Amino acid sequence: MPCPYLDYRCEDADHEFEAERAYCTAVEAFVQPMRADICNDRYDLDHETDCEFYAEAEQ
Amino acid sequence: MTYADFRDGKPVILTAALTGGVHGKEANPNLPETPTEIGEAAAAAEAAGASIVHLHARRANGERAFSTDRFQAVTDAVRARTDDVIVQHSTGGTGAPDALRAEPLRTDPAPEMASLDMGPLNRYQHLTSENTRGLVAALHAEMQERGIKPELEVFNGGHLNESLAILDELDDPPYLNLVFGGGTTTIPHPRNLLTLVENLPDDAEFNVLAFGPHQLPLTTMGVLLGGHARVGLEDNLYYREGELAESNAQLVGRTAEIAETLGRPVATPAEARTILDL
Repeated sequence: MPCPYLDYRCEDADHEFEAERAYCTAVEAFVQPMRADICNDRYDLDHETDCEFYAEAEQ
Repeated sequence: MTYADFRDGKPVILTAALTGGVHGKEANPNLPETPTEIGEAAAAAEAAGASIVHLHARRANGERAFSTDRFQAVTDAVRARTDDVIVQHSTGGTGAPDALRAEPLRTDPAPEMASLDMGPLNRYQHLTSENTRGLVAALHAEMQERGIKPELEVFNGGHLNESLAILDELDDPPYLNLVFGGGTTTIPHPRNLLTLVENLPDDAEFNVLAFGPHQLPLTTMGVLLGGHARVGLEDNLYYREGELAESNAQLVGRTAEIAETLGRPVATPAEARTILDL
């Protein structure tokens, strides 16, 4: 199950994209494509154990 | 490769790392992500002096992709828009299962070259690309089977040890990419480049890759030491401090101009094939 802090957006205050991109509501920023694999729990990745942003937000 | 090669005016091979898989348009809107964008960037980089293009594949939204199908779309787009450039596929993939890592080797036609990560590499707070010896051997075996020249990614001095250990298994000349930056890559300093170069086999060809603000000085130093240079938005988002690069071609063009000024002509793709015995 994807990270609860993951959203897909086309824009924020500093960016505007044609397609929706991974956005982290925990840090209020678009995330790097590599990190988006963690957000989406792809492969063997798990946002609960692999993402420091999630861990900090849950504390 | 030696300083004598520089003095002799040996052509320098320029590799353009066009897109990567770590950052994307959120970091620099000029970074190509779609197959069409990557193909156009490859053509511009070739025109600016690149003889090799280093390719990654992405999903439609810019996120990473490792499948043969996605690499096929990228390599087709590149081949349709370039004249003679050498196609090099990445087999890197932090966090991706080993089973996917060989997928980029299976396009039709196969790439002439592919990257081969020589050991562990950390990312973020919790990720490690393990790159076990078993995986390295399996990827190398498939490259040999498909006639693909490996570029050994030497992220640090330990990876040079790993590379030296398999020298007998490599076709001549071995081609090593010396990587400088933060984290588990070599500390970016001229003395560390000198040390690594001094430990290379005599018949090896080497390339210099340095991240961010270290790209320009260390690749220039590599040119002076008789090596080759990789530049591009995968490794460096900026043209200078505070100024985003406009394109991959802008970064390639600057390094081509520096090499020519220093007395080393920029290799054509045909010359690069001769140097690397492709």
